[in-house]
Amino acid sequence: MAVVSISKGTVVSLTRVVKLALLAMSLPVGVALAQAPVKGGALIYLEQQAHTNLYPPAGGFYPNGGVLNQITDKLTYQNPKTLEIEPWIAESWTVNADATEYVFKIRPGVTFSDGTPLDAAAVAKNFDTYGLGNKELKHPVSEVITNYKASEVIDPLTVKFTFTKPSVGFLQGTSVIGSGLVSLKTLALPFDALGDATKIIGSGPFVVTSETLGRELTMTARKDYAWGPKKLAHQGRANLDSIKYVVTPEDSVRIGALLAGQAQVIRQVQAYDEKQVLSKNYLIYAAPTRGVNNSVVFRPDNPLVADLKVRQALLHGTNAKEIVSTLFSANYPQAKSIIASTAQGYVDLSPKLTYDPAKAAKLLDEAGWTVGAKGLRQKDGKEMVLTAYESLPQPQNKETLQLVAQQWGKLGVKLVVLAGDAGSRVVDSLDPMKTPAAPAMVGRADPDVIRSQYYPTTRNVLLQKSPLAPKVQTFVDDKLNGLLEAIAAETDQAKRMALVGEVQNYVIDQAYTIPIFEEPQAFAASPRLKDFTFEAVGRPSFYAAWLAPK
Amino acid sequence: MTRYLLGRVGQALVVLAVTFTAAFLLLQVLPGDAIMIKFMSPEMALTPAQIAEIRASYGADLPLWQRYLTTVGNFLTGNFGYSIQAGVPVSQQLATNLPPTLLLAALAFVAAVVLTIVLAALSNLTGMGWLRAGLQSLPSLFISVPVFWLGIMLIQVFSFQLGLVSVISPGPIEKLILPVATLAIPISAPLAQILMRNIDEVLTQPFVAVARSKGASRSWVLWKHVARNAVLPTLTIAGVLFGELLAGAVVTEAVYGLSGLGGLTYQAVGNHDTAVLQAIVVISAVAFVTINLIVDLLYPVLDPRLGRKVAAT
Repeated sequence: MAVVSISKGTVVSLTRVVKLALLAMSLPVGVALAQAPVKGGALIYLEQQAHTNLYPPAGGFYPNGGVLNQITDKLTYQNPKTLEIEPWIAESWTVNADATEYVFKIRPGVTFSDGTPLDAAAVAKNFDTYGLGNKELKHPVSEVITNYKASEVIDPLTVKFTFTKPSVGFLQGTSVIGSGLVSLKTLALPFDALGDATKIIGSGPFVVTSETLGRELTMTARKDYAWGPKKLAHQGRANLDSIKYVVTPEDSVRIGALLAGQAQVIRQVQAYDEKQVLSKNYLIYAAPTRGVNNSVVFRPDNPLVADLKVRQALLHGTNAKEIVSTLFSANYPQAKSIIASTAQGYVDLSPKLTYDPAKAAKLLDEAGWTVGAKGLRQKDGKEMVLTAYESLPQPQNKETLQLVAQQWGKLGVKLVVLAGDAGSRVVDSLDPMKTPAAPAMVGRADPDVIRSQYYPTTRNVLLQKSPLAPKVQTFVDDKLNGLLEAIAAETDQAKRMALVGEVQNYVIDQAYTIPIFEEPQAFAASPRLKDFTFEAVGRPSFYAAWLAPK
Repeated sequence: MTRYLLGRVGQALVVLAVTFTAAFLLLQVLPGDAIMIKFMSPEMALTPAQIAEIRASYGADLPLWQRYLTTVGNFLTGNFGYSIQAGVPVSQQLATNLPPTLLLAALAFVAAVVLTIVLAALSNLTGMGWLRAGLQSLPSLFISVPVFWLGIMLIQVFSFQLGLVSVISPGPIEKLILPVATLAIPISAPLAQILMRNIDEVLTQPFVAVARSKGASRSWVLWKHVARNAVLPTLTIAGVLFGELLAGAVVTEAVYGLSGLGGLTYQAVGNHDTAVLQAIVVISAVAFVTINLIVDLLYPVLDPRLGRKVAAT
């Protein structure tokens, strides 16, 4: 597919006809690519939500990542196609055999936009902050860095990091948005001052030159930028002169403005709006987030879902295909495992994820849950009523859960979907009695993401007993945790991938998770926008982007 | 008069103090708080001990009365605290968002008043019955149009279809045209309804018949005698409506992507951002109290009978 190879984000269309039309339409694009990209120009980007605190480890929130990815560089670059780790600010690196010591050689001549050098000392201070946090300034620890011990500046361009335990995911962890490198001046500010984008001083191809809080910000290209990832085709400064980010919360206004030519790219296009965009020959970019799929997870500490047979019944009673075809589009592939098919170490488990309502009903019967008077399953006088809160950042999550509720309803299981206020949601989500089921998803292109999602002291989606989840009575799965620890520590790549396969099988065999679809981050763009790319987990990059003449 | 003024200002201060306290207590009753929402979310993966440290650093672990006194002290010294979600001082958020909302609300209010006067005057001066009926039913139409829908329609037609104004990167005046229209139309509706009804009522008063029989023209009677009498109840409603403008601004600002108090409130409510909400409540209360004070003080100016009564007390 020519379309796919032109833009690194996958361009997928709704129907075959549209796909062919798009293919035909994109041919001149290929010709244009052969010409030199246009230098200069101002891009207008419409974002659905205002960014929040821009402390780099908080870059996972989509609007934050959209800003941070343009203004900060990372120590390493993860190739979005191969997922290999390539040089960027680090020219080279060495890792000891048990992954407890990492030494990075820093590229000379790199400066932050405030003029200070990006050298070994700056890198050391960045990772000391992200790895250990800073209590005085309230900087929290980064999710992607585990077992961090200390840094050591060996010479002005060499830095060494040591870890208390093997930390295999660290190398990939240096490439993610959450590890964006910022000036010492930024790190000297308290956490509460980092919501002002102009204070985030990075070394990236763009610099935030002005901001109206909550409404818009302007990024200007750095003319002296000369340290993009070495293996990229584009080198030197960014093609665009500037990018204007405008927060436009209303979906119809974003799409209308794009189609009316008032903007060139917009983030967050719902599946039901895709047709409207494609019919005007505009493009949909569905950038894969390559992590843990959009799923429903169980909290087995709750007696209702403690029985494996009950969880298996609900797994086979969930019709993911119907959800994808009813609510979403071809850009939201049906899940075939707990992680995306574009993720590292993915194994196809679709034979274990079949929709089989007869089997589901049989499993529930076997577990002792019989259909009662109101069509609701009962056991020992208890009714099978589960509760889950909708997740606001996930696309159409309320509708997804409501459809799941309909499907489970046919089995005699009731799922109550709550919207709730943010406070109740946070509190109840930590209590398995209040939320026996929950929606879950996280993007990161390293198998470490599975550990991060399931391990008791990190995101802990299953709510295992841990200091993070004081309401949990007993539930702990030592086998699962052992596998997750092994993934974090295994230095042999082949063995690590085997473990990743094993953990996927284990989670599905235990029916802890019902995977639904692979979540993309959906953008729509004008056909004038060329070389619009994405980093490994779908955050936009405008470094090489340019605007063709009207 | 001075005593009256002092009394009214004193009342206003009491209202403010009560509002401040009620808002503070209600915000404390909500389940969870901004620190919890930001730092207890699973992606932060912080241990209860770490969260407790963060809570202590924000002073959130102190007893209620102590936090209340601190907050009062901070507000009196102009320190509104930090927005935990946005990561900026609340004063900075207010500096960005308050002026555009005040400008939008003031312009929309002026536009609504102009629209009201035009509607009322036209419907009373026109001799044609069908036009009069049409104009008098317009407010009912305006009042039933949802602000949200009106905003989207105006954008679709005037910006996306006709290309007359830009909503994404407009000039300083251009950006106010559609939002002001969106806000002014529904606000003008109740004003026009009340003004028209009052004019009709005043027109039946004997002094109008006297004036007419002396040979005054219809329009002269309307402006000189009727308007002044009919405007008083309208003024009361106008004071209340100005407050409603702030609420209407939430929707308008969201549709047009304008920065303002509306969007700020929406975000802060979603995240239980207590410091921001406390500041917004206080500002809104100040606005309400001030406007109603002005309205009260205007009564005696418009109707000398009221002034005498005040002086007598």
